[in-house]
Amino acid sequence: MRRALYGLVAGLAYASVPQTGEAETHIIEMRGLEFIPAEIDVAVGDTVTWVNADVMPHTATASDGSWDSGTMEAGDEWSLVIETEGALDYVCAFHPTMTGVINAR
Amino acid sequence: MLRRAMIAAAFAAAALTGLAVQAGDEGPSDLEIAHIAYTAGEIDIRYAHLALALSDNPAVRGFAETMIRDHSAVNDAALGLLDKLGAKARDNPTSRSLLKQAAEKRAELKALSGAAFDRAYAENELAYHQFVNKTVEEVFIPAADNEEFKALLGTALKTFKIHQAHAERLVEQTR
Repeated sequence: MRRALYGLVAGLAYASVPQTGEAETHIIEMRGLEFIPAEIDVAVGDTVTWVNADVMPHTATASDGSWDSGTMEAGDEWSLVIETEGALDYVCAFHPTMTGVINAR
Repeated sequence: MLRRAMIAAAFAAAALTGLAVQAGDEGPSDLEIAHIAYTAGEIDIRYAHLALALSDNPAVRGFAETMIRDHSAVNDAALGLLDKLGAKARDNPTSRSLLKQAAEKRAELKALSGAAFDRAYAENELAYHQFVNKTVEEVFIPAADNEEFKALLGTALKTFKIHQAHAERLVEQTR
C-alpha cells in the first residue's frame, strides 16, 4: 500500500498540485542524495511534501532547527505547512551535502 | 581484455590503500560483485560500530551512525534484488581477502583511544571509500551484466561518493 502511495506521489514529482482555495502542495523528492528540486518558491499557507525515493534514510531539517521531519525511511513522505515568509534553508541531518531552500512569499 | 585491464587498474589502486584484492582473468561475475559489495558494506558497518564503542567525538559518532544507516540500506536493497532474481551472492577470494584485511585494521584501531582513534578512524574511512568507489566505478559497474544490478551499483556509488566527501571533512575535523 505504501509502495502504491509512493508511486502515486512520485509521479507528481516537481509538480505543484492546486488544492482548494489558493493553497498548493509542492512535492520535493529525495533522490540520489539530493533534494529535487533543491529550491522552490511557495506562498505562505502552501504545503511542502518531501518523498524519500532513495534506499537510505534521510531527513528534511530546518537549518535553524525550527522544524524537522525526523528519520524518513525509503518510501516515506512528510509534509510541512509553510507559515512564515522568507528563505527557509534546510538540510538532511544525515548527509550534510544534501541541502535545499524554500522561498516563501 | 578491456575488463581485465580495468580490473588491474582498480586493484592496483587497492594495493595503494593496503588492500589486496583478487579476481580471475575474466573478472568477477554479477554474483561475485554482489558478494564483494555486500561484504565491503558490512566491513564499514563494523568499523562504524567500533567507532561508536570507542569514540566520544560527536562528529565521529555522527559519521559512524550515517555509515550504519546507509550501508545497511544499500545492503538490504541488494539482498532484495537478489531475492527478486532468485539468486544468491557468491563467496570469492576477494571477499575473503577484504574480510581478513579489515579484521587486521580493526585490531589496529582497537588499540587506539581518544583523538588518536578518531584520527585513525577518519583516515581509514577516507581511504576505504576512495578504494571502494574506484573499484565500483571502474570495475563493478562496467562489469555488471544485469541492468537492475548495475543501476543499484550506480545509486550506491553516488551515496559512497558523498560518504567520501564527508570522510574528507572528518579527517580535517579530527586533525
